[in-house]
Amino acid sequence: MFHWAQIDNRRGDCSDDAVEQCLLAIKKQDLNALEELYYRTGASVFGFALSTLKNAQDAEDVMHDLYVAVWSGAGKYCAEGRPMAWILTITRNLCLQKYREYQKRSDIPQEDWESYIESNPNMSPEDRLILAECMGRLSDQERQIVVLHAAAGFRHREIAKLLDLPLSTVLSKYNRALKKLRNFMEESKEDERG
Amino acid sequence: MREADKREKIRQAYVNAAPDICDAILIDCSQKKGQVIVMEETKKNKKPLKYLMAAAVCLVFVMGGGFGLKAYRVNYRVDSTVSLEVNPSLQILVNEKEKVLDVKALNGDGEIVIGDMDLSRSDVNVAVNALVGSMLRNGYLNDLANSILISVDNDDTEKGALLQEKLTNEVNKMLESDGFPGAVLSQTITGSADLQQLADQYGITSGKAQLIQDILDSGRGYTFEELVPFSINELNLLIEAAESGIEKVSAVGNASDKAYIGVEKVKEIALAHAGLSEGDISFYRTDMDVERGVLVYEIDFYCGGYEYEFDIDARTGEVVKNKISQTMDYYENPNHDGAYGNENSAGAGSNANTGTGAGTGSNANTGTGAGTGSNANTGTGVGTGGVDPSAPITVERAKEIALNHAGQTADAVWFEKAKQDYDDGLLVYEIEFVAGNVEYEYEINAQTGDIVKNKREMADTLHNENAGNTSASITVDQAKEIALNHAGQTADAVWFQKAKQDYDDGLLVYEIEFIAGNMEYEYEIDAQTGAVRDYEWDYD
Repeated sequence: MFHWAQIDNRRGDCSDDAVEQCLLAIKKQDLNALEELYYRTGASVFGFALSTLKNAQDAEDVMHDLYVAVWSGAGKYCAEGRPMAWILTITRNLCLQKYREYQKRSDIPQEDWESYIESNPNMSPEDRLILAECMGRLSDQERQIVVLHAAAGFRHREIAKLLDLPLSTVLSKYNRALKKLRNFMEESKEDERG
Repeated sequence: MREADKREKIRQAYVNAAPDICDAILIDCSQKKGQVIVMEETKKNKKPLKYLMAAAVCLVFVMGGGFGLKAYRVNYRVDSTVSLEVNPSLQILVNEKEKVLDVKALNGDGEIVIGDMDLSRSDVNVAVNALVGSMLRNGYLNDLANSILISVDNDDTEKGALLQEKLTNEVNKMLESDGFPGAVLSQTITGSADLQQLADQYGITSGKAQLIQDILDSGRGYTFEELVPFSINELNLLIEAAESGIEKVSAVGNASDKAYIGVEKVKEIALAHAGLSEGDISFYRTDMDVERGVLVYEIDFYCGGYEYEFDIDARTGEVVKNKISQTMDYYENPNHDGAYGNENSAGAGSNANTGTGAGTGSNANTGTGAGTGSNANTGTGVGTGGVDPSAPITVERAKEIALNHAGQTADAVWFEKAKQDYDDGLLVYEIEFVAGNVEYEYEINAQTGDIVKNKREMADTLHNENAGNTSASITVDQAKEIALNHAGQTADAVWFQKAKQDYDDGLLVYEIEFIAGNMEYEYEIDAQTGAVRDYEWDYD
């Protein structure tokens, strides 16, 4: 089994080749590969789910269900060079399913991301600020686009396809989102200098 | 900063934000894996070596993963359920490590107590401390009702008892350091289906159901139904009245009887009713009891060969029942003159006392006993409900400002709420009070003392939630549809944030909130008629 420390340099690295290798191994029921996949892609999956649902508990549920689904459905994955698109399409569907559950139960959970961020010991103060900015300042779609581009390494064209939006919309929303975050990022940099 | 640098920073933040639930996932998948191998073996066993290897890998994982499986049990499985009950009812799900998995409000008051606090992942005693602190701050635990019930439900009774003791000590310590004379009842329960059914039927916690059952078992001839509406404090008074106490429940401190007229007053009323003075009677005894769903004092005394028994409404002092019977003394002293001739002359006594309970009630308002509880909150979800002592305006001052504005005085109103909250990032005091049948709501800027918001409305039915209509004639889906139609939106174009029943001025309503684009819509729909009572559109 991998250990967190051993895999640390791979955390969040969801380059296509590496993720594809994991999926092919998972097809052969290799649990180690699943663990590697988790550490490589977890940030994108959780980030996208949190962006969409704004509730960390539910985002965690989606994350759990996603990897279980990948494990049992890896056989259906056809190597086509974009494994992340496959994974995030499933993630998106799981989020939509959550929405439907909320609507059925008429019970929309509270946004709990603020307390989640506060109580997460793995995050640096700067991480917290960045996440709070993304969650608080951006619209849902802007945030999804930023996460897909920054964390999952999606190209704008791929984001457009996943979110079913025109490419021009994705581009303008991405730029707008970055502009919203820019002030803050520049400020925090100045703070560092100061 | 270059775009690429920004992207990297954002990526890093999300990498660090992701939770580590890998163990739980691997456990679930390894279980599925076992099944897959078995199926494949029966289907085609042409390549035994491959499956042997697969089985070996699985075995290694199970052995190596022993830790993982244990970790899952320890971390994610509900080990104990702790319920806290005052009138707010809360349920805390706790794992084997005594960390909180979730806190659920079982009624509206419970939701207020939880407020914005997110207690998951904190130690159970920290969570209990924070919740009891919030109950104090919100005035649910006060001079008039000081009893809290802690129930621990664990299949392992010994473990449950240990946790019960730990939490009881925690709460006692906290109340003591706050100088609050509380009474803590605690019990261990092992979830039986019957009990759960009773709890579900009456919409109470299994802890309260157990407590009621225990009182019934002490053989005082009440019915379950009769005791359901009673608060924990009232039940505690009944427990104290039970001569032998109740074995399964441990009690620390005494239930407050300040909301009631008190033994001395009872004696006075009964004596007046009987036309006697204290010097006439030889012996008396009082007790708390329930008579037709009302908490009463029972008082018995003897005088001149007669036994007098009274049931006196514990709140109003009204004589509910009186009885006089001859005792053996009478026959032993045949010269007795029979003093009891004026049964009806006691009216003055009862009237004089009506409303005593309500008068003292105004002391129960919120906001006292602040700070202590909120400190226990381990940094999560501070904000709402937490009290910022640095605010230049005190809660008392805020109340004064609101009262002045309303042209009222403190002794003429009944405070319903006085607490700090954030409104659009601004620290404010929310002050609500009722004077006559007018309800006032204020928001006072905690920095400047300015009145940010004020509202007054006729409180036609004053917050009497139990007496009001408790069943809705329209469904939540209909309410959502009404709100959507009113807003000119369709269900698939909006994102519902809230859709729940609530009471407003004693009227059952649905509160519906949703977002469409960058507009936020808030609706209040009458649950009986479907009428839109109130709505607000805001740019999100």
